[in-house]
Amino acid sequence: MKRFMYSFLLVGALGWGQGLDFSGHTNLPAGIDISGTWYPQPFQDSGLITASGALVEFGGIPMNEAGRLYALAWSSSRIQGRQHQCMGYTVPYTYNQPGNLRFWEERDPYTQRLAAIKQYWQISEGTRTIWMDDRAHPPAYAQHTWSGFSTGKYEGNNLTVYTTHLKRGWIRANGIPQSDEATVTEHFIKHGDRITYFAVVNDPVYLAEPFSRAYTLGRNEKEPDAWLYACDDGEQILGRREDQVDSYFWGQHPFLREFANKEHIPLLATLGGPETMYPEFPAKYNDPQAMEAEAKKELTPAQGPEHPNRAADPNPHDGEIHVLPVQGNVFMLVGDGGNIAVQVGDEAPLVVNTGAGQLADKVIAAIRKLTDKPIQFIVNTNFAVDFTGGNLKLRAAGHDPSLEGSFFSGQFADAGRSATIIAHQNVQNHMLALKAPNDSIPTDTFFQGRRRKFHNGEAVEMFYEPNAITDGDSIVHFRRSDVIAAGDIFSTTSYPRIDLKNGGSIQGEIQALDNILDRTVYQHDEEGGTLIIPGHGRLCDEWEVAEYRDMLVIVKDRIQNLIKSGATLEQVKAARVTADYDDRFGATSGAWTTDLFVEAVYTSLKSPPKSGAGN
Amino acid sequence: MVISLLNRRSLQVALCLGLSGLTLARAQFPGGPPAPPKTAKAAAVYDLTGYWVSVVTEDWRFRMVMPPKGDYTGVFLNAEGRKIADGWDPAKDEAAGDRCKSYGAPILMSLPGRLHITWQDDETLKIESDAGQQTRLLHFKSAEEPGPSWQGFSKAMWELVPTGRGAPPVGSLKIVTTHLKPGYFRKNGVPYSANTTLTEYLDRVDEANGTAYLVVTTTVEDPVYLGRPFETATHYRKQLDARGWNPTPCSAK
Repeated sequence: MKRFMYSFLLVGALGWGQGLDFSGHTNLPAGIDISGTWYPQPFQDSGLITASGALVEFGGIPMNEAGRLYALAWSSSRIQGRQHQCMGYTVPYTYNQPGNLRFWEERDPYTQRLAAIKQYWQISEGTRTIWMDDRAHPPAYAQHTWSGFSTGKYEGNNLTVYTTHLKRGWIRANGIPQSDEATVTEHFIKHGDRITYFAVVNDPVYLAEPFSRAYTLGRNEKEPDAWLYACDDGEQILGRREDQVDSYFWGQHPFLREFANKEHIPLLATLGGPETMYPEFPAKYNDPQAMEAEAKKELTPAQGPEHPNRAADPNPHDGEIHVLPVQGNVFMLVGDGGNIAVQVGDEAPLVVNTGAGQLADKVIAAIRKLTDKPIQFIVNTNFAVDFTGGNLKLRAAGHDPSLEGSFFSGQFADAGRSATIIAHQNVQNHMLALKAPNDSIPTDTFFQGRRRKFHNGEAVEMFYEPNAITDGDSIVHFRRSDVIAAGDIFSTTSYPRIDLKNGGSIQGEIQALDNILDRTVYQHDEEGGTLIIPGHGRLCDEWEVAEYRDMLVIVKDRIQNLIKSGATLEQVKAARVTADYDDRFGATSGAWTTDLFVEAVYTSLKSPPKSGAGN
Repeated sequence: MVISLLNRRSLQVALCLGLSGLTLARAQFPGGPPAPPKTAKAAAVYDLTGYWVSVVTEDWRFRMVMPPKGDYTGVFLNAEGRKIADGWDPAKDEAAGDRCKSYGAPILMSLPGRLHITWQDDETLKIESDAGQQTRLLHFKSAEEPGPSWQGFSKAMWELVPTGRGAPPVGSLKIVTTHLKPGYFRKNGVPYSANTTLTEYLDRVDEANGTAYLVVTTTVEDPVYLGRPFETATHYRKQLDARGWNPTPCSAK
């Protein structure tokens, strides 16, 4: 009897604790645990085939002008480009891929609290983590990935997930882009052995309105055999330049009407935009002529002022220096102008660039938290004050033991009593010409294409990149850590600041990006592997360098073609040749505007650099 | 420790009695007569009332333009179903007075348009569409089952997910619809039969910026024309008012 009483009380208490409701509602037995293996149901949008759709099949996607122009300029041959062959998938696109999905929970082994929900996607072999422990999202200068950074919580009967830090991906792989500024809110709603997946994409760069969409996922009745998706890139067209990037200029898409004609749909309907999502749109079909006229207007950028970029500024601007571990021995310091790379190890720190110098004391303090050794080497990739502004203080705070006690000590009383600044000779030349303080000017210069060192247990290579931003740029490759500090050659915040007066050119800039890509590898599906610290902006991998390079090649080719047809600079500007990228990289005010960039490209094409860079 | 004291039989008995006791406890605690069961309206897990506009981003090619005859991509039609789809003749439907054949319950929630959702009474939720001027009644309590119609007969229930004690109920609105007149679940004559069972889940999700969406998950099961059930999801966005409400009659074209 005592046992019976215990069990009665126990079960009753358990039930009460669960708050089971027996008031007439139908209760599901298993909460909203979404663990298991799933597949995208084949019924909806099945005509799109792997979510790509036909060329110029954009109906129902609320693209803005930049998104539409990007999609209309996109040539499907780009997926043959080396860095694009193994591109991973972002959310929500990935849930429309025809592969298997595995979801599982990860719980704290001691408390059994839900720490994360993990997902593995067969196509692109992507692994996603949805953190369920209320952790904060990383800072804006942290790396972006295909799966992004996701946090989840249960809301009502659904798992709600918020994702940031996504790489540029697809809304549809027929050219409709989802930018790296996009954030995604997703809801996984379980109905028995089905999940209704509903996602809302907010993309300030390419969308005029949020893109919302529902899908259904079915539970696999048995464990599927197929989980892998091997991908390795290779050149597919012999003799093609690696930086050949095909694209279509405004209104010149050769397959513009193919889908519209096949489906007997007015062209305007296939071009997308917010209005194509709403019930009022079909009423337009009654006036085909007006639709055609409107469609033709949408093939080119609207007249009017250029657009400023809509991307969030990744720089914290809080008067502090922020330290981001990159990988291996290398850290990225953010907050004082250009990014700073710091390599630490058994020897003393090697620092690439010193920022604007406004927060130099804090930079030194931050480095001291990484190592108690004084800075031994400073490498300047460029002479601009955003990268050399802290030279004076960081040099003074350093110490180069390789010089102290060497024969240099006999010649220079202060040899080795401060850090040694290394740069290409042209950096020194420019700083001397600018009458920079003597102690801020590099003293250890090189002329050759490759300067090398072995420091802190790894090879450190400095590659001269002629006529890129200036005539004195370098990149620095930490080989074992597999990190490249790209200096001003690569930025995630603006078009490259090509300094024509000091030897910069679009040809050299593209060549420099090509050279970076010649040294990078990805770990898996264009992610990981070599990491790149840009001069400004967030940490990246090679795919994002390739995207940046591709953009510059496309813009260069457009301007080159206009020059060939006799266009003046003003006509080139009026053609808004960067309209598909301005919302991401453009500027209408400040020191480096879109106008100045276009002018720099135009001028360097009219007067190519004498070094032959990029040819 | 307590578990170790139990033997299997006492656990089984206790489970039955414990759950019974729990029901009593929940009903009577903290005292007084049992509360009357909540009405469906009072038990609603979220507010679905108001005006909603369809956001057509799924199956756009089949919903926002008239797909070509014979295009039943994604639908597992059997031979009989394909025969009807291939022979679709909208003029014939118009002439036969069957203009609303593509406005039945299996397609209504995926048509571009607006919905106006209200409680007709405490146990009946009413969904009106401006597209085709249709009305669906969702019955939470048993009602007399009528003859076949475009919107059929819909039974509704709040399907709940267990929550913690004291937490508000959460779940979905589940709707099962039968008694349908044969119609099309795509505008271009993809057929469903009178034997069709339509199962729907309506879920409301609220974004952080205050935007509310109604997500409609639909399963069409038709032993006559479908080789396997047809499952889709569509969605609506909440409107503040009746803006855009534009009642239009059915059209077969």
